[in-house]
Amino acid sequence: MPLDTSTTYPLTRLRLDGRRWNELRLLQAQISTNAASSGSSYLSMGNTSIMCSVHGPAEGRRGESSGSAGSSGAVVDVNVNIAGFAGVDRKRRGGGSDKTSSRIAVILRSTFQSHLHTYLYPHSTISIHVSVISADGSILAAAINACTLALVDAGIPMPGLLTGCTAGMSGSASTPKDPRHDELDPLLDLSLPEEQELPFLTVGTTTVLPVGENGMDGEEETSVALLNMDSKLHSTYIETMLAVGIDGCSQIRELLEGVIKGSNRA
Amino acid sequence: MSSQRQASSAAQIPHLSPAELSYLYTSLSLPNSPIRPDGRSPTQFRPLSAETNILPGTNGSARIGFADGTQAIVGVKAEVEKTVLVSDTLDVQHEAQGTGNGEGGEGSSSAVTGGHGSWVQMSIEIPGFRDDDALPVFLSEMMRESLVGSVGVKDKSGEENMAGGLKGRLVINKRWHWRLYIDVLLLSQPLSYPLPLLSLTTHLALLSTKLPKLKSKGEEDPFFDDDWAVAEYIYPRVLGVSNTLQVRPPVTLLVISVGENVIFDPTREEIAVADAVLAISVTRDNEAGSLQPLKLLSIRTIDPPSRLTQPGIPNSENVNMLGAPAPNENVAVLNPATGEEEVPGVWRPRRGGVKRSVIAGMVKTVLKKGGVGEEVLAGLEGVEVS
Repeated sequence: MPLDTSTTYPLTRLRLDGRRWNELRLLQAQISTNAASSGSSYLSMGNTSIMCSVHGPAEGRRGESSGSAGSSGAVVDVNVNIAGFAGVDRKRRGGGSDKTSSRIAVILRSTFQSHLHTYLYPHSTISIHVSVISADGSILAAAINACTLALVDAGIPMPGLLTGCTAGMSGSASTPKDPRHDELDPLLDLSLPEEQELPFLTVGTTTVLPVGENGMDGEEETSVALLNMDSKLHSTYIETMLAVGIDGCSQIRELLEGVIKGSNRA
Repeated sequence: MSSQRQASSAAQIPHLSPAELSYLYTSLSLPNSPIRPDGRSPTQFRPLSAETNILPGTNGSARIGFADGTQAIVGVKAEVEKTVLVSDTLDVQHEAQGTGNGEGGEGSSSAVTGGHGSWVQMSIEIPGFRDDDALPVFLSEMMRESLVGSVGVKDKSGEENMAGGLKGRLVINKRWHWRLYIDVLLLSQPLSYPLPLLSLTTHLALLSTKLPKLKSKGEEDPFFDDDWAVAEYIYPRVLGVSNTLQVRPPVTLLVISVGENVIFDPTREEIAVADAVLAISVTRDNEAGSLQPLKLLSIRTIDPPSRLTQPGIPNSENVNMLGAPAPNENVAVLNPATGEEEVPGVWRPRRGGVKRSVIAGMVKTVLKKGGVGEEVLAGLEGVEVS
């Protein structure tokens, strides 16, 4: 039995785990999972599961908060830890942290630093701790969603829910797209085996509440807050993938809204 | 950044004034009936929630949440590894010379059946600490030591269960063994000394740990049954006397002494006034003829944070009170527990040192039949391990 998407997908139109191209994995989430933090969440997308806790906004540490960044608004500090038992094989990490987790931390920090209303908390630090308990693809997207939930739980104001999702193509997509016979499909929410063989991108979107003159229309505007791609593919495919990713983000937003509204926290 | 990291370890000492510390110390050191801030009895534990087998991708896993909100997750992963022995390399040299291709030297066999402590690897992740900081390294070594130190037992029929303890269980044959990775994840900043939480979680994770069933025999290269349903527990489910599991991973308990009193499961505030903090590792003892149900594996003293607290100033030394008439309670008396002179109601940082009888009392309370250690083990057994 072949175990890669690029050979089986054109035949069956089904992915390795039996999903169609536009289906998300099962998403389960919980907020206020950890009483010892200001806000916390647990989120699992398929077999990827992440726990996130937020501390603060609290008084920043000495030295750093006295800098220019601290005085204008809160500083977001993100710590990502991928557990040794998260993957299929036990990862040996030497010293502090590995490359993947520090990359994710940097992306999360810059995303949420600009997304949150940090100007409300000058001279303070919001520290986010993300633990990846089990890794099965789309770690960055799952981490974004978990952080959003934990930040909502901590009561830190933001313009809208920031949700993340991955989108890929069902083949290597290295040649220009042919509009007449296009056999490649975009795929939504990639799992680890798909991530390893196919080109994919991570997109994070947020909704901006309508304000001002057009505020009465009630039409929410979606904007892309984050876009990250590490793989190679022909530029003609990006538009398709982006559209699918943005659609996945709004599906996830509805799910997360359900989680937040369903939690009976006083 | 590192200064803040270190500060978070010092943050384990709550901000209490000398007067509060003295009040707490006095109520905890009341002879025979200490009054704890949360109204517990000296041997009572705080409620906790626990679950096992939460991670499908591991050989065994567990999560425990304490009442104060701190949580830990432990995942155990096992890998097959080739056993390298000094005698093996000698054999290779022999074979290279064409003198023989026999089995490994007989001298090495004792080391093989015994297993090796380094086959169990433990790492602890605490938010705010690097994993080579002192606290995680010290904690993991303290827990690993008691794990590999505990040895197996012989039951009444003389058949050995887990000969050589956990180390022995990891031996597959002369040339192959399992390597066990125990990864401990503390999910929140440590509010109190995290040792008991981590130890209990590790205990549960190891109880739920399974290794695939071996299909190959003897000295063949190992070959395993791929049916996870027939996998074998690393701590076999052998029921001993009174329907309890016979072989158990060790548990490390944190015990403090205040005055003559021995207090279990201390909170952060209670540790801050402790005279001595001890980590006691115990495991079940099923050897025939033993009177106690439990066996002591190790005792370690932990630097009590009360050493770093601010002292109170008695009125007789207070400059602001110079003119005032000296009240009569201002006379230094001898603290019976530490043998130091102190004024009642005035806090003095502890300088360490504890009487031998107090330590003996601690160990006795843990080990005795129906004691705290047995209660904890029975409680953990109650957690559904399936």
